[in-house]
Amino acid sequence: MEPMIKIEHLDKTFRGKTQTVYALKDINLDIQKGDIFGIIGMSGAGKSTLIRCMNFLERPTSGTVKIDGKDLAALSDRELRKTRQEVAMIFQHFNLLQQRNVRGNIAFSMEIAGMKKADIDARIDELLEIVDLKDRALMYPAQLSGGQKQRVAIARALATNPKIILCDEATSALDPATTQSILKLLKDINRKYGITIVIITHEMSVVESICSHVAIIDDGQLAEVGTVEKVFTQPESRTAKRIIYQKSAGGQAALGKRCIRVVFDGKSSYEPVISNLIMECKIAVNIMFADTKDIDGKAYGHMILQLPEDRLQGDRAIYYLRSKNLVVEELEEYVI
Amino acid sequence: MLFSSDIWMMIAEGVRDSLYMVLVSTVFSYILGLPIAILLVVTRKSGLHPMPVVNMVTDVVVNILRSVPFLILMILVTPLMRLIAGKSYGPTATIVALVIAAAPYVARMIESSLLEVDPGVIEAALSMGASTKTIILKVLIPEAKTSLIVGCTIVIGTILGYSAMAGALGGGGLGDIAIRYGYNRYQFDILMVTVSLLVILVQIFQVIGMKISKKTDKRIRE
Repeated sequence: MEPMIKIEHLDKTFRGKTQTVYALKDINLDIQKGDIFGIIGMSGAGKSTLIRCMNFLERPTSGTVKIDGKDLAALSDRELRKTRQEVAMIFQHFNLLQQRNVRGNIAFSMEIAGMKKADIDARIDELLEIVDLKDRALMYPAQLSGGQKQRVAIARALATNPKIILCDEATSALDPATTQSILKLLKDINRKYGITIVIITHEMSVVESICSHVAIIDDGQLAEVGTVEKVFTQPESRTAKRIIYQKSAGGQAALGKRCIRVVFDGKSSYEPVISNLIMECKIAVNIMFADTKDIDGKAYGHMILQLPEDRLQGDRAIYYLRSKNLVVEELEEYVI
Repeated sequence: MLFSSDIWMMIAEGVRDSLYMVLVSTVFSYILGLPIAILLVVTRKSGLHPMPVVNMVTDVVVNILRSVPFLILMILVTPLMRLIAGKSYGPTATIVALVIAAAPYVARMIESSLLEVDPGVIEAALSMGASTKTIILKVLIPEAKTSLIVGCTIVIGTILGYSAMAGALGGGGLGDIAIRYGYNRYQFDILMVTVSLLVILVQIFQVIGMKISKKTDKRIRE
């Protein structure tokens, strides 16, 4: 099947007066219909530029971007504008019209699409229901909270029945609870309407909570692409490892000691593995860091354990955990 | 009564002429200034359609017109005043000079208002497939509305000031009276009355403008 978004050999350079900046280098990416695709990277890695290449807000220097089989570079201005109505976008700072109320803001995308006034009004009522803002319909953005503003932006994006919604750090300006509610809304939209969602973020937790696939971008290049499950449990690239372990920085005290990372992939979450490990192997371990959570109904997460100094005892612990079908890896360079 | 009724009549006519000049000139300078401002905003380097040469030429023309002192400009455009108004003195002729002087000023005021619009909102409109025309009409101007209204009150004050200056060259209105009676004939009382009236007019426009801009601004929480 033709992917919803197909990016091939995409390069993007910005020419300054004194130097040329290579923002993206040879990006190849397929995003399938119905995916929730996360693109994660540190700031400056090029993720904002990459997502803007998907609707040609930034034109690639070379390479192709195909949306549902259509090569964006081959389109006329008019056709490109038409296509952009199928590729909606939401933003970190919401980007609502300050002088229009909630209804007026939602109407905006439909006015651009040339819909009739009566159809617009009816659609706004539906959308207010979906994003749960019926009682805020006549308020202005200045009177809304961040989460409410993002809901308006989502309604506006959804209004023209797009195939894709691009999310540019859509939750980065929100508090954790609001972030979760916005992510839940996006997930519902993805399930109900089959809309492909692309999310760029610097927060691993966003990817963990809703994405099916993830691409890790570093210094303008894709370091790793795959299902969240795979990349999260068995990161291969240095960048992926760094991002996944970034929250493990609390393991500082273990410097110089032998540490392992134990990955829970949903199979053994109800078994008290660590407790059994301690009792069966008769060793002491120190939990340096733990982060487990529910993804798609299964428990995922990882834990960093400090093992006894004794080589043999440590090996036994690793052997035991592996026998329980857990992914275990020794951390040498990553415990910072 | 301070003056005879003739003098009061003359002052009343002066007020009428001043208002006529200011309001008509403001309307025409916006008709000319708005497209220039949009051209400046759209063609700038970070604009919707960057056109460096067009932008630079427009910019230079606006600057040149802005830097000619008003009285000199009035003398320079005398032939144009004769052509359009049929004579080179009086309120209608003065309007021609006022519009030419004010249009580039208006263009700069509008330009700075439009540049205040959040680029993020423009990007959002682009991402929805909006054309340049739609962005100008539905994003730039409505979003800059408050700032545009404030700008307009400043413009009206400035044009009123220019119109009073035009009195030195027989421009009509309150400025004309102030110069002929107050300066040429040393009638200090008439000078004071006309100057007071000018101050009051500026105040009225200022207060009305600020009220409207506040009332229409939706960014303020109630």
